[in-house]
Amino acid sequence: MTTELDQREDGELIGIILDAAHRGDFETMARTASEVSEMTRNWATHIPWDDLASLEGADDELARVVADLTEMWEPAHLRNPVDPDEEYALDKNAYDFYRPAGRNLLTRTEDFYGWVQARRRTETWQYSRVLEAAPDSVAQITNDLGRRARGINFNSQDYLSFNTHPAIREAAAKAMHDYGPHSAGSPMVLGNTRISDDLEAALGDLVGLDHVTLFPTGWAAGFGAVVGLVRQSDHILIDRLAHSCLQQGARAATRNVVRYEHLNVEAVRRHLAEIRATDTRNGILVVTDGLFSVDADWPDLVTLQRVCREHDATLLVDVAHDLGSMGPGGTGVLGMQNLLGSVDIVMGAFSKTFCSNGGFVASNSPALKQYVKMFGGSHFFSNALSPVQTAVVREATRIIRSDEGDALRARLFTAIHALRDELTGRGLTCMGEPSPIVPLLIGNEKLARTANRLLFDRGVLAFMVEFPVTPTGSSRFRLQVQAGHRPEEAREAARIIEGAIADSRAYLSSAFGSAPR
Amino acid sequence: MYDAIVVGARCAGASTALLLARRGHRVLVVDRSSFPSDVISTHFLWPHGMSYLNRWGLLEQVLAVTPAHTTVEVVNDGISLTGSVPIELLREYFRDLHGDDSGVVQSCASVRRRVLDEILVGAAAKAGAEVRTSFTVRELIVEDGQVVGIRGRTVDGELVEERARIVVGADGRNSFVARTLALPKYDERPRCTFAYWSYWSGFDLGPAQLHRRGRLACAVVPTNFDQNMVLVWGPSEWSREFRHDVPGNYQKALDFVSPELGEVVRTRGTREERIYGTLDQSAFLRPLHGPGWVLVGDAESAKDQCTAIGMTHAFRDAELVSAALDRWLRGDTSIDEAMTVYGDRRRSQNAAAYHDYVCTLAEMRPYRHDELQLFVALRGNQQETDRFIATHADVAPVSEFFQASNLFLLNDAAKESSADHAVFEDFAETSRSYQQNLFA
Repeated sequence: MTTELDQREDGELIGIILDAAHRGDFETMARTASEVSEMTRNWATHIPWDDLASLEGADDELARVVADLTEMWEPAHLRNPVDPDEEYALDKNAYDFYRPAGRNLLTRTEDFYGWVQARRRTETWQYSRVLEAAPDSVAQITNDLGRRARGINFNSQDYLSFNTHPAIREAAAKAMHDYGPHSAGSPMVLGNTRISDDLEAALGDLVGLDHVTLFPTGWAAGFGAVVGLVRQSDHILIDRLAHSCLQQGARAATRNVVRYEHLNVEAVRRHLAEIRATDTRNGILVVTDGLFSVDADWPDLVTLQRVCREHDATLLVDVAHDLGSMGPGGTGVLGMQNLLGSVDIVMGAFSKTFCSNGGFVASNSPALKQYVKMFGGSHFFSNALSPVQTAVVREATRIIRSDEGDALRARLFTAIHALRDELTGRGLTCMGEPSPIVPLLIGNEKLARTANRLLFDRGVLAFMVEFPVTPTGSSRFRLQVQAGHRPEEAREAARIIEGAIADSRAYLSSAFGSAPR
Repeated sequence: MYDAIVVGARCAGASTALLLARRGHRVLVVDRSSFPSDVISTHFLWPHGMSYLNRWGLLEQVLAVTPAHTTVEVVNDGISLTGSVPIELLREYFRDLHGDDSGVVQSCASVRRRVLDEILVGAAAKAGAEVRTSFTVRELIVEDGQVVGIRGRTVDGELVEERARIVVGADGRNSFVARTLALPKYDERPRCTFAYWSYWSGFDLGPAQLHRRGRLACAVVPTNFDQNMVLVWGPSEWSREFRHDVPGNYQKALDFVSPELGEVVRTRGTREERIYGTLDQSAFLRPLHGPGWVLVGDAESAKDQCTAIGMTHAFRDAELVSAALDRWLRGDTSIDEAMTVYGDRRRSQNAAAYHDYVCTLAEMRPYRHDELQLFVALRGNQQETDRFIATHADVAPVSEFFQASNLFLLNDAAKESSADHAVFEDFAETSRSYQQNLFA
């Protein structure tokens, strides 16, 4: 062992061999090689350790061996220089900046800003694009660097293409004329109009629940409903992928939060039994989306509602994406599962199909309504939806329930199927079920960011989602389809997207595919 | 004519040969080395690695001569976490990847390659594979664009030619098979670590310890022969300066990362071998398969040593590829379909996310404030600590731990705060000082 102990380290020996090679000293090369450890010889099997002397005169082979030894000897990053901005922009993740250091709140955001700037310079920042005109199935936008693009638009959440619908625009104009642009104050003071009451009734009719409360945004509705009802000793069971407003509401309301596996009703049953085994006094709120925007799927709400009742738990379902855009008569996932009027609490948002801002909370309880109005801070302490917004949503609700609504949904689903079929036929992975949201799984953030950069110039406007919307390593394009998309437009977009992904993969020289596990 | 020729008879190769032979296929496996012998490796097996050995009936033989533990301690800038990979996550891993969760064990161990590889080669031979050691492959036989066999030199210096339906390249990072086929490299990440290690007797500190401070790290892991592997690593940018005095800087790095460990090694330890080192660890992928050939282990996907996952991944590949090849060799499916199944698993989104995870870690940037705070938040939260360790070891998907709502919840449930840990005092200055090359 002592002799082995005294032997020189392999790095030093390889250094000596390389020096000797440059001098043409083959004798030293061979002698030094014999001292190289078994570890390294067995690992670097491509080096002819025992035959270095025979390289004399064989110039090509000598050059190859020197190159191979150098590769073992020199840090690899010195051989492969990269653009530092691009490396920084692509390798980081927003999560890397979630806990900034330092006591000065103003200066400690600088690190994050540096990353944002690197992504802007490399045109991989998807968050600051602006519209140049009213979007429909095609939109014109400008990016951070002032570059313009026009493309097939999958960024709008306007599933039934109401933004350009004459009746909707007329309703907005009439409300503007009748009431002006301002809502006078909080809905608890004098922010509501006659239109607000009509709208509450129409929405109640749509979801089959009698008591509806309006909120200024969808986010406010989700957050307000949760913090309005749940107290510190209560419990919340929430689907891991439920919307941010519900997750943050849960965090604000109580520390007793369990995030259950996506869609897993059995897990909910198990958690409920565990909680009820030790706590029979406090409330439990179970929270889920109807149509999940991240994965385009939905839970078995029939079983979920029954399980909740069996354990004295209350169910809240967020129908922001499905209400109006799918299901019989636009009743969404609730209607598809024959649950109109029988879910404890339903909340929704007007920012998708209803062509506006705002949200609502509905239930069969007048008491719950008054309670959430009082204690869901985002209702009491925000200005009410403006009369224009309220009128737009009321008109949208009317169309959704009409024959025209059925026709629009039929057109929407024709486009959805065209898009999904074309993408799948090209070997790409569309997640979930046919719905206005088509999540196209990419996975690796770098691939998604560079593909997104290419799409900008190729005539498709697709929103790329990554952390914190999706988990790390599971980025995707969220393609939001509209009734106004022609099937041929959808297929054209699929072709362009496939090309951009293939080119990005080549650009990054990446071999990873899109199978999940 | 063999069903399969496996080039390389270590973790990936011997295992593949073993599994194919057990399913009744005619297998030849060759290696340049003779056994027992060592090869550059940090030779750690995470619990799924140990589970593979158990599934193949080899664990007992390994444990008879190797210390094993179920916990590991991870200390980042003084913030210590101890945990083990949860059994349910291990089961889930095996079900997802291989369709059955038999033989799962929770322990991990550091096994010298001169011990482990001999056991694997012996098992392959016992299973009926023909094993030829001290065999040098000189050429791949290619006919009509299809690899159909190998030409090589036997231990006696005889030149021979052997043919098979498929040639498996299990010959490591510097794969002869891959180089001969001139296969390109994908997903390269040049930044990696330099690592230096040796074997020490004279102390027993229990389960594996991993320490990290600034841009340097060290590990002390009990291994065979009543010795400890003591490993230090850092960013390859610092490797030139480190090399000026390898023994001195090795101790200096230990003292810097963990003064306690440095003291133990200096005062109680006896070094039993020379110091070994490598900095050729940049990550890459190669194409997985082509006409008549398929790659497994480091040959298909080489990564930095910093998460010590290479051997475990080699075992995983062996199970995946032997299951795929078996279906094809039995005539249940086409080779294309079999390879597509293998490829989907090996080039999945989870694999991509873990590749990025390791490569980013291998850059050895000082931990940021928020990363250290995550470790603080994990203290006292055993379930999530265990899940973090499982994620680090590629048992649980990166995407399930690093998910916004999970991280927010971790934060909210934290029992300790930065006030409890010294590194947060004057953090900005400490962070700056970490950028200084300690060996310059």
